[in-house]
This record gives sequence, C-alpha cells and structure tokens, in this order.
Amino acid sequence: MVLRDRRILLSSIVLPLLVTPLIFLGTHWSIQKRARSLRQMVYHYAVAGPDRALARSVLSAARELRSHPESVVPASPPAKPHRHRRSNQEQPAQFRFEELDRAEPLEALNRGEVQLVLEATPGIGLPGSAAGNAPGLKSRDDPESEPARVGAPNLRLFYRADRDESTAALSEMQDALDQVRQAHRVALLHRGGFTYEPARMAVVHESDLASKTQVAGLALGKSLTLILLVFVLTSGAVVATDSIAGEKERGTLETILTSSVNRVDILAAKSLVILTIALIITLIQAGNLLVYIGLKLLPVPPNLAAAISPGVGLLLVIMFLPVMALAASGLLLISGYARSYREAQMYFMPVLLVGVLPGLAPFLPGLPLRSVVALVPVANIALATREILIGRFDWPMIGVSWIVTALAAAWTTRFGVRFLSAERLVTAAENDQVSFQGGPALFERQVWRWFAGLWAGLIIISNYLEKADLRAQVLINLAGLLFGGSCLMMWRYHLDPRQALALRLPRPWVWLGVLFAVPGGLLTSLGLFRLANLVLPVSSKMTEGFNQSVLPPGLSSFQLLIFLAVLPGIFEEIAFRGLLLHGLRRSLHPAALALVVGIAFGIFHIALFRFVPTACLGMMLAAVTLLSGSILPAMMWHGLNNAMGILMYKQQIPETELPLGCYIAGVGILAGAFWIFWRNRTPYPDLRRPTSKH
Amino acid sequence: MSTPVLVQALSRIFYDEARGELRAVDDVSFECRAGEVFGLLGANGAGKTTTLRLLATILKPTSGTASVMGHDVVTAPEEVRRNLGFCSSTTALYPRLTARETIEFFARINGVPAARVPQRVEQLVQRFGLQEYADARVDKLSQGMKQKVSIARTVAHDPPVLIFDEPTVGLDVLNALEMQKVISEFRAEGKTIIFSTHIMSEAEKLCDRIAIIHRGTIRACDTLAHLRAETGQHYLEDIFVQYVDPAPPSGPAALPGPRPGVGP
Repeated sequence: MVLRDRRILLSSIVLPLLVTPLIFLGTHWSIQKRARSLRQMVYHYAVAGPDRALARSVLSAARELRSHPESVVPASPPAKPHRHRRSNQEQPAQFRFEELDRAEPLEALNRGEVQLVLEATPGIGLPGSAAGNAPGLKSRDDPESEPARVGAPNLRLFYRADRDESTAALSEMQDALDQVRQAHRVALLHRGGFTYEPARMAVVHESDLASKTQVAGLALGKSLTLILLVFVLTSGAVVATDSIAGEKERGTLETILTSSVNRVDILAAKSLVILTIALIITLIQAGNLLVYIGLKLLPVPPNLAAAISPGVGLLLVIMFLPVMALAASGLLLISGYARSYREAQMYFMPVLLVGVLPGLAPFLPGLPLRSVVALVPVANIALATREILIGRFDWPMIGVSWIVTALAAAWTTRFGVRFLSAERLVTAAENDQVSFQGGPALFERQVWRWFAGLWAGLIIISNYLEKADLRAQVLINLAGLLFGGSCLMMWRYHLDPRQALALRLPRPWVWLGVLFAVPGGLLTSLGLFRLANLVLPVSSKMTEGFNQSVLPPGLSSFQLLIFLAVLPGIFEEIAFRGLLLHGLRRSLHPAALALVVGIAFGIFHIALFRFVPTACLGMMLAAVTLLSGSILPAMMWHGLNNAMGILMYKQQIPETELPLGCYIAGVGILAGAFWIFWRNRTPYPDLRRPTSKH
Repeated sequence: MSTPVLVQALSRIFYDEARGELRAVDDVSFECRAGEVFGLLGANGAGKTTTLRLLATILKPTSGTASVMGHDVVTAPEEVRRNLGFCSSTTALYPRLTARETIEFFARINGVPAARVPQRVEQLVQRFGLQEYADARVDKLSQGMKQKVSIARTVAHDPPVLIFDEPTVGLDVLNALEMQKVISEFRAEGKTIIFSTHIMSEAEKLCDRIAIIHRGTIRACDTLAHLRAETGQHYLEDIFVQYVDPAPPSGPAALPGPRPGVGP
C-alpha cells in the first residue's frame, strides 16, 4: 500500500535515485573542469615596490629552474614544495606566470586583471603598502607566514583569498620561489666550499604504524553512523509522517483503532514499515554510492574494502539495528504528536538536526568509547563503529553500547505505545486529570524528565568546571544543581517537604545498623568494583588521577570532610533518596525502586569506572530509606561512607587491593546491618505493593 | 445470554486548559437488546459520539462501566472490539486500497480465519452490489459506493453489535435511504444496533427505542410510543425539545414515568 503512494515513491526512492547521481556527477564534473582549467591557466602578476628589479630576477630564476632544473643547481636535492606536496613521480610543473605592467598593481589585483602582486622592498621595518590592508586583500608577509630576515630584501605576495585563481596562483608562486631559494642556498654553500654530501645528511622519514586498513577504517568509521542516521531519518520521515499524522488527517486512524488489533501491534507494525522502508532506501542509496565509487566518481580511502570484512560487516549491521529502531520509533512519535501532516513535516527538520548530533561523536577529538559517552544512545554506537573499523574490538564496551541503545529504542517504543494512546489521537482535549490539576500526581509522572534535565546540566557544568576548585565544583553541582533542582521540583508540584524527603525519625536501633552498614557497604562496593574490573578494567593510573583531582592536597581534612562527606550526604540524598525515590514509589515495586534509584545515582557520577561502586551504594541507601521510612539514616550512611573513603586515602590504604577476606567480611557486616534494619523497619509509606496490578 | 450492550453510570470527564473540567458523558446508563435498533438522539455536542467512543474503547471512562457481549470495555477492550463494528462519518477508508482489499484487510485484522476470508469478502461484495467496483481504488469511488464499502468493512468480521455514529451525514437522500435499508436488514438478522443521529425523522423511522441525550446526560429512554404518551407530543422534534429545554414549565423534571437510565 505504501508503494502505491506517489508522494512516498517520488520523495523517498525516485528523487534520491535521480538526484544523488546528478549531485555526484555535477560535483565531479565541476571539480574536474576546475582542475583542468587551473592546470592550463597562465596566471598574471604585476610587480610593485622600490626593488622591482630584484623581484624580476628572482622570477626569472624560477622560470629557468622550472624549464631546466638540472642546469642551475645540478647537485641540489629536490626542493620541498611549500604548500602542496607532490609525489616523487610528478614532473615539475611549468612556470605558468606572465607579468603584466600596471601602474597601480594592487588596483589591478582588485579588478581581477592580475592574480598576484609581488612587492619587493629592501628590508623589514619599512611600512607596508597602505593598500595591503584593504578589505579582501591578503599579504603573505603577515605574521602567520615566515618571518622576514633583517637586512634581507623582502618579497611580499598580495593575493585575493576570495578568488580561486588568486589562491592557486599564490600556491604555485610560493612553490616556485621556495625552489629558487633552495637552489640559491645550495649554490652558495657549494661556492663557499661546502660540498654537498648526501651520505652525511640525515633524511627524515615519516613512518605510520597504523595499517592502511586502519586508516581507511578510521575515515569510514567516523562518518558511517552519521551517514546511516541521515539516510534513515530522511527516508523514514515520509513514511512515518504518513503513517500516523497522515492517517489522522484522512480519518483512517479511528477506523483502525476500532478494529480488534491491539495498540502495541498497530505501533509495532507501523515501526516495522518505517524500518523496512528506511532500510530499503538506505540499501538503494548505499548501492548508489557503490556504483559511483566503482565509476570513480567518488573518492574513497584506499583499503576501504579490507576494513570491512564479512564479519565486521555483520557486526556493524547488528550494531546499527537498535539505532535504526530508535530512529523509527522517534519518527513515529513525531508523527503521532503532530495533529496534521503539515505539522509533522514542520517538526521534521529540527528533529533531523538534533537526531544526527549523536552521530557526530566520532569527530570529537580525544573522545574514547570507554567513557560516559558509552551511556549515551547512538553516540556510543557511533564511537563503537569507529573502534570496530579501526580494528579495536573492546567487547565489553561494544556490548554496553549496544545494550544502552537497544534499551533506549525499547523505551521509546514503549513510550510511543503509551504516548500514542487512542484518546490523544482522536480527541482534541488531551489534558487528563493529572496534567490538568498538576501537583504531586503530575510530579510522579514527570520525575524522570527532571532528572534527565539535571543529568544533562551536570554533564555540561562538569565540562566547564573540570579545572575549577573542588569547593566550587561541589557547591555548584550539589548545592546549586541538585539542591536547587530539588527545591524547584517541590515548589513546582506543591510537594510537602516532610513527605517528599521522608523527614521522619527512624527507630533508635537503625542508627546502630548504620554504624555497621558504613564499613560493610564500603567494602562490599569496593569488592564489586574489583569484580567489575574483571570485565571493565580500569587502570590504577586512572583511579589515582581521579583521587588526586577529588582530593587535592591543598585542602585541610576539615574542608575535605565538609565538601566531600557532609554536603554530598545532605544534597545528594535530598535529590535521590528524597525526590527521585518519592516520585517513583508508586510506579515501581520496592526492589525495583531501590535498583533504579541506585542506577540513576551511579549514572550521575559520570565517570564510567565509578558506576558500579556508586550504583551499589545508591541501591543500599535506597534500601535503608525504604526500610526505615526515613531519609536520615541514608544521609548519615552516605556522609560516613565518604568520610571513610577519605580516611582510607589519607592513610594510603589500598582500598581496591585488600585481601579477599576483607570484602567477604564486608558483605557479612552489611548483611548484619540489614538484619538490624529489617527487624526495626517502619516501611516507607504509600509504596506500590508487590502484588498490585496496574 | 448476557445483554449485548450494558452501560451503567458511565461518565467521562475531559480536562482542557481552555474550558476546564468538561463532563462530556455524565452518569449515563442504558442497555441494548439483540435484534433492536437503539437510537441515541441528541444535538451536536450532546455527548453521543463520546458515549459511542467509550463503547468502542477508543476512550476510557472516568467512572462507571460498560460491556459489549459481556466483555468490559476497560479490562477486555480487544474482546469488545472483536464483537463490535463501528461506522461513523469520521471513520474513513484507505484511499489507496481497492474495495475488495479494504474488506479483506479488515476481515483479517479483526480475526476472521484466513481460510474463510476470500469467501467472506465475496459474500460482502455480492451483498452490497460492489462487483463492478470491487477492484477499483477507494479514492476513485463515488460517495455512495464508499459508504457501501465502509459498511462492508464494518461487518467484515460479522460482529453481533454494530455502532453507527451519524452514518448519513454528508449523504444524499438516496444514499441515506440505502443506509437506513441496510440498518433495517441488520436488525432483521438479529444484530444489536446503536444508531446515533440528530435527524429526528431517521430516529422515528429506524429506532425501536430512543435515548434522548443532552449535555452528557440521558433525559429520557423509551419507545417512541411511550415518549409520545408521556409528553403528549406527536412529533419527535417536539418531544425532544420538551426534554432538553432547560426551563420548560412542564419539562422532563415534571414528567411521570421512566427516568433517565435503563429503559423498560
């Protein structure tokens, strides 16, 4: 049915099939024509300045050198071109310059009569030509070029950077002048009695240890995900727009919604259609590209084929599946959100721009896969693709990337099913009671949005604060972002702080449990960190570097305790065991709630190697909050945990290299602490019951 | 055997930033029996379409219950839709499918066994006189033919309950009469039909019982004969006005007999 739609056929298949070859052919033809024309072009120049005779003699030498290179300096080594390196096999180019006599050379350059002006002056320190600072005119005597020698005559080249011919002429002229200078230098040495002995000269060679396949893989790996994203989003958009927004407009959506098919099946079918069409069009486009590569219309890095073995190709297909599923679900969401076909089209361009952003991750210099980016959907696949094509198979991180993006795709699809509920699609009144009335119920629905925003804010701020003072970092991140965000949430949704933050006194025995839980929890977290190290190895240099940045030597122990133990114990608990836990309490079973709050806590600690210990601590803190019905034990535990970590570092206790028995004892102590919590439990109120069905 | 359609204290509130809290359907109760045409008569915006959409499970009730062939609209929406055919002036057809493909598609997605689909399609093509146009794309058909295809796809899975929400809107007289004829035939086959309209003559002609709905509430629900007897009016227009007029001296509040809700 889709293929009966002329719009889809035309915009997704016919147009790209016709337009792409035309673009490539046109570009190729234009570049070739330009190159041919520049190769045959004779450049015109004018000479200016008080020492014109010098300029002309140099140019005459350059002409002679190009015509008879062996006659001028027979023993000279080949001159190194200044701008464009030529291969050794390439013949020296002809000297394709002709002088035009002009009274106002710079005016002639501006008028386009000449491509270059050579100004010869007796030495530096002389004021440059006033016209040299005219707009559009550039001089090669600027500080970016080589410094002029004191006392030596100067040749200044004027050109127009806004004209191709002028720039090309400059490059040619510089090569020619360099050759002259080289030849003169060798000739002078020769005349001064210095013989040219190649055996006594060291020749510098560059040797790239990366194989050609890896270089080709890097070139392809950087852009492959981006290309795929553009293909999938552009080709899937037409079908996606038609599939819900179009159906709304035609009135067929209500027809299908009153059939006995369930909503999940409808959405899955539509996603599959988008995915299939996007895949087919992507394959057509890829085939198109291969044809042009075969016809040599498109330049590709050598050894490209070797970089993609069948195994690598299969792996890449597997890697791209969640990306495509995510893109299809995203497109479907836009289509469902829009009230009409036209509105959906309006949303498409901004979504395309934002959608391809993660695909640019491999272009960012120094961004490794083994970083927090592994938790960013699509960007992680883009980085993993680059690594795979270079031949670096970091399997744990490839796995993490795939799982994260697949989870994002699954979540988007699930969200889509809920978001595209029949009601929203067929009625104009879209505000339900919760949205309409706002307040705590709306907070429960929107809590993830807030924490996603806080996380994004934290990432951005962390980049700016990387080199800032620790105290400033803590104050901005914890007091500003987390506590400020928490206050904002309480204000926005009219939350009662006593309930939202679980500000209640637990039973007295709980405090004793906390005293046991601190060493037990810390040792358990460290043990898990060691276990995780087996899968995701972290160098001791990295942990040491992190410790030094977190525990700078300039701060007193008291300051360290305040900034790294007390403040995190208060502000992080308010955000995570306070608001996040409160917001999710009715949507997750208690065990899942502790797990999710812990994972979120781990993700907020940004550095990937800290994820396991911090997530583990976060889960334990959530568990004690749920059991005691109070945030206070978690605050105390958190603060003491951090204080103990500082103490271990100060005492140089190798926390990750303790004997195995220590970690096992830690687990035992922790179990004892939880036994105390369990015996003295006063559960968190208003939790979702494990048996309740929603 | 359970009542084909049972609606009890059904309410639906919309929350809209511009209009605030809007009770589109307010404590509505009625039941429909097999082999009858039950009319929902009301002005535009009275709550007819919302009531029918609640029955078709496109909307969820704020409170109250409704069931179709014993299946609850909230807990078993797919079962409800399997027993239901929904046709309204807003349920359009896929323009790029042919008439035959349309019927086949809806038969398949509504659970007609694959082996029976061709036979069922052919049966419906014959019944609605679509032979000549069966392989033409729907967007090439006349309005009357489209309406026939629409009805054919509504009954493709032979549901026991049919909902027609203002099906004659936009049709000319001949096509409207054709529609009325088809609905009468379905009644003769023993199907339960809920028919909503704001056209009094249609309701008079087709409906075995009529529920007058106004501002989301059912003001009266009875046979035409009983409604005439209770209001002392002959024409349905007059009966209707008497029930929905906000402050008539002898309005519905003063009327004796059955009150809004389940009819006799």
